[in-house]
Amino acid sequence: MSLSRRNFVIATSVAAGGSMVLSACSSGSSTGKKGGGAGHGGADKYTGSVVVGTKADSTGPAAEIPGAKKGGTIRGIAPDDFSHLDPQRIYFSWNSAIGDLFIRALTGYKIAADGSMKLVGDLATDAGTMSDGGKTWTFTLKDGLKWEDGKELTIDDVRHGIERGFASFTTEGAGYAQTALTGTADFRSKYKGPFGGKHLDSVVTDAKAKTITFKLAEARPDLNFTLAMTSYGAVPVKGDTKDKYDKDPVSCGPYRIKAHSIDKSMTLVRNPHWDPNTDSIRNAYPDSFVYEFGPEALQSADRLIADDGDDKYAVMAYSGVPAERIQKVLTDPELKKRTFNGLLTGIYYYAINTKRITDLKVRQAIIHAWPLEQIRKIYGGPSAGDYATSILSPDIVGYAKDDVYGKLKKPQGDPEAAKKLLKEAGKEGQKVVYAFPTSNTYNKTKVVIENALKAAGFTPVMKPLDSTSYYDQVQQIDNQFDVMWFGWSPDWPTGYTLMQPLFDGSTIANGANNISQLNVDWVNEAIKKNVVIADPNEAGKAWAALDKRIMTEEAPIIPETFQRRFYLYGEKVGGATFHPLWSSAVFYKLFVKA
Amino acid sequence: MFRFLIRRAIGALVILLIISAITFVLFYVAPRDPARVACGKVCTPETLALVKRNLGIADPLPVQYWHWLQAVFVGRDYSSFGNCPAPCLGYSFHNREPVLGTILDRFPTTLSLSLGSAVVFVIFGVGTGMLAAVKQGKMLDKVASSASLIGSSMQIYIVGVVAMYYLADQWHILSRPKEVPFTESPSGWFTGLLLPWLVLALIFTANYTRMARSQLVETLSEDYVRTARAKGLSRRTVFFRFAWRGAMGPIVTIFGLDLGVLFGGAIITEKTFGLHGIGALSVKAVGDNDLPLLLGVVLVAAGAIVVFNIIVDAVYALIDPRVRLA
Repeated sequence: MSLSRRNFVIATSVAAGGSMVLSACSSGSSTGKKGGGAGHGGADKYTGSVVVGTKADSTGPAAEIPGAKKGGTIRGIAPDDFSHLDPQRIYFSWNSAIGDLFIRALTGYKIAADGSMKLVGDLATDAGTMSDGGKTWTFTLKDGLKWEDGKELTIDDVRHGIERGFASFTTEGAGYAQTALTGTADFRSKYKGPFGGKHLDSVVTDAKAKTITFKLAEARPDLNFTLAMTSYGAVPVKGDTKDKYDKDPVSCGPYRIKAHSIDKSMTLVRNPHWDPNTDSIRNAYPDSFVYEFGPEALQSADRLIADDGDDKYAVMAYSGVPAERIQKVLTDPELKKRTFNGLLTGIYYYAINTKRITDLKVRQAIIHAWPLEQIRKIYGGPSAGDYATSILSPDIVGYAKDDVYGKLKKPQGDPEAAKKLLKEAGKEGQKVVYAFPTSNTYNKTKVVIENALKAAGFTPVMKPLDSTSYYDQVQQIDNQFDVMWFGWSPDWPTGYTLMQPLFDGSTIANGANNISQLNVDWVNEAIKKNVVIADPNEAGKAWAALDKRIMTEEAPIIPETFQRRFYLYGEKVGGATFHPLWSSAVFYKLFVKA
Repeated sequence: MFRFLIRRAIGALVILLIISAITFVLFYVAPRDPARVACGKVCTPETLALVKRNLGIADPLPVQYWHWLQAVFVGRDYSSFGNCPAPCLGYSFHNREPVLGTILDRFPTTLSLSLGSAVVFVIFGVGTGMLAAVKQGKMLDKVASSASLIGSSMQIYIVGVVAMYYLADQWHILSRPKEVPFTESPSGWFTGLLLPWLVLALIFTANYTRMARSQLVETLSEDYVRTARAKGLSRRTVFFRFAWRGAMGPIVTIFGLDLGVLFGGAIITEKTFGLHGIGALSVKAVGDNDLPLLLGVVLVAAGAIVVFNIIVDAVYALIDPRVRLA
């Protein structure tokens, strides 16, 4: 879920939806009810709630899915291949979704039928033991873990996976644990990885007790969430081919890669050495998975609507039902039965540059003026997602549905309230430079945004930017933009993963993600304070409170939408559920119907 | 002929060199940074520099280009990533393999698509054009001319999608496009590509019908054709031995260029039908900021056009005795 790649996907998915917004607009507005999730045709329940599970929750096997049986082949259809298969190079959620089939880390998420999640031990016996106020974490390895060649998966292999994250060829992966272990974001200057035979002093293993202990430079009470990232998956010390591992990784999950033709197809078959008793997360019903890469969303949707031949066993693997077909799918009961949906992780928003728009009242006026309803219509109406009114998204622990500016009551914008605030600030006619990436969708949203700003008494200046360099441009400290389209997807579902990168003043730099350039002492202090709260629920409440206070007292962003994605699957596919973190199908729960 | 081929081959190399240099420069003047994509979420300047070194883009542009050019002739060792033997068109860090291997892997699809559709559109296009020319001014001519006008104004991304929706998904007359190697199943290969062939041919046939008709009509009114008739040669002999050969020159020229373009990748066709050929590969390379792959694809595409141009010039001389290779 790296920023650039992730956001590129976010941007593309929106753009894809917007390419035929016209057909979706009418139905969207006709069924739409102002406010939250009603009228979208999808699940009304937010599915991403997460708790930390117990040792019993971490003990395999995974609960059987009613009606599921073993055998057959499930086919995935996706526009793009997996960019990486080496766990330490995986960040993008699409890669993590497939990684679940052959990569395992110390912890992972157990996903219930209703989409709620429990953080449990995956390779570890439980979700870890914290001590020293979050500066020390210990995990114990399960018994019976093996690699696909039958060799035992050892605690050294787990450590190797962590230490590989420091190597020069794993720059694409996450860096959170490395930063916590070394105390610096430039962690490669402290340690070059395990290939010179040197291990990290801050990672201590006990082969006999099968334990691994992390001694952190900074307290991280949510390190067990961090370690659930695919980037921290185990890699066999003796089977590590370094750079080449990305092409041919060794499996410790229920499936192994049998064949891979880049950008064309990939076949996974059963790993005979995976023991379901060691795995409380994964079911593994199909004998094989075959992924086909290339077809765009519209082609995939049409194939699954036709539901012919092998496509009866297929599922849209990552690209969802496009706006061109969403109404057809949702209004045909037979087709709708073959869908699953959920909210994408994270939030789409517009960052207000607090270094340029320094007056709080002006920022608040912009939020009041912003036309959420018109924008969502362009995305495809209620089926495209729910209005966002907070920084935290519904899948974050502690999320509270705050609406400081009454956007749910007036999603079309409130020009009068905006004018009043502008007048109070003495900034009537204030110039607002709005930057957005050029695409069919954003070229359309630009129009409604421009109109809304004019209606509220602003003087808007529209700045379309090349989509391929968009992030590079808005992430410059001295950029000349007042409001910038942006999106953020958290790496694990705690408030830290949103608040720290987006609002911690110490992160402001060229290329950084705090593009609001908010640098307020009380915010910075609150982030430092919240991050060390050990109790996840208490931490959640603290992050939600900070969310509300930032929106009220600083107004650095205009939350836009929590976007929804629908997927279609063939009539012979069972167990199709939405992955709350990867925003794809939960592949290891799929089965072939009799 | 030999001197002609040598001269044209040297010219082709110069053209390819210029194209590679232009592609290189264009890629780098674009406001994008491939290293940033591979740098991760928290991208420190140190990590960015490391990624640039890994990707081989830390050196100045001329040095990078020189290294690339050297690799074409002598190969290159990409340190820990792998060896790229000559002729090395580059190493795709995105795909984790030498560019030439990827292109060769995709080429059978492009070859099948190009040749299959070419057979259809040449036979139908030229055949219809010939009939229209012979029946000039009659109903057949009018129908063929109108149909070709409609055909040439159609776009693959519309016809393809509509054809797929109705012929494959709704009526099940043809199967959805599928890539089955010829060596694996000739019938699967044929049925899998039939729909793309027909759609591609529908667009191209129109041009050949119009071209064949107009060329033949013009040739049939030439003095040498009239002379042949006056000498008492049969209508069939006059048509095929004199008129047809005379009219084929421009058609062969266009066919050579079309085939060159198709071999370089039928981008829209491949994307429309979800085929994994050279065209789809080039789109992917652009989207992935994969310069080595993009450069390789551009050179193969340009090379195909250049080579077919040479072939066309040679064939032209064989068909039309009035033409001599200078």
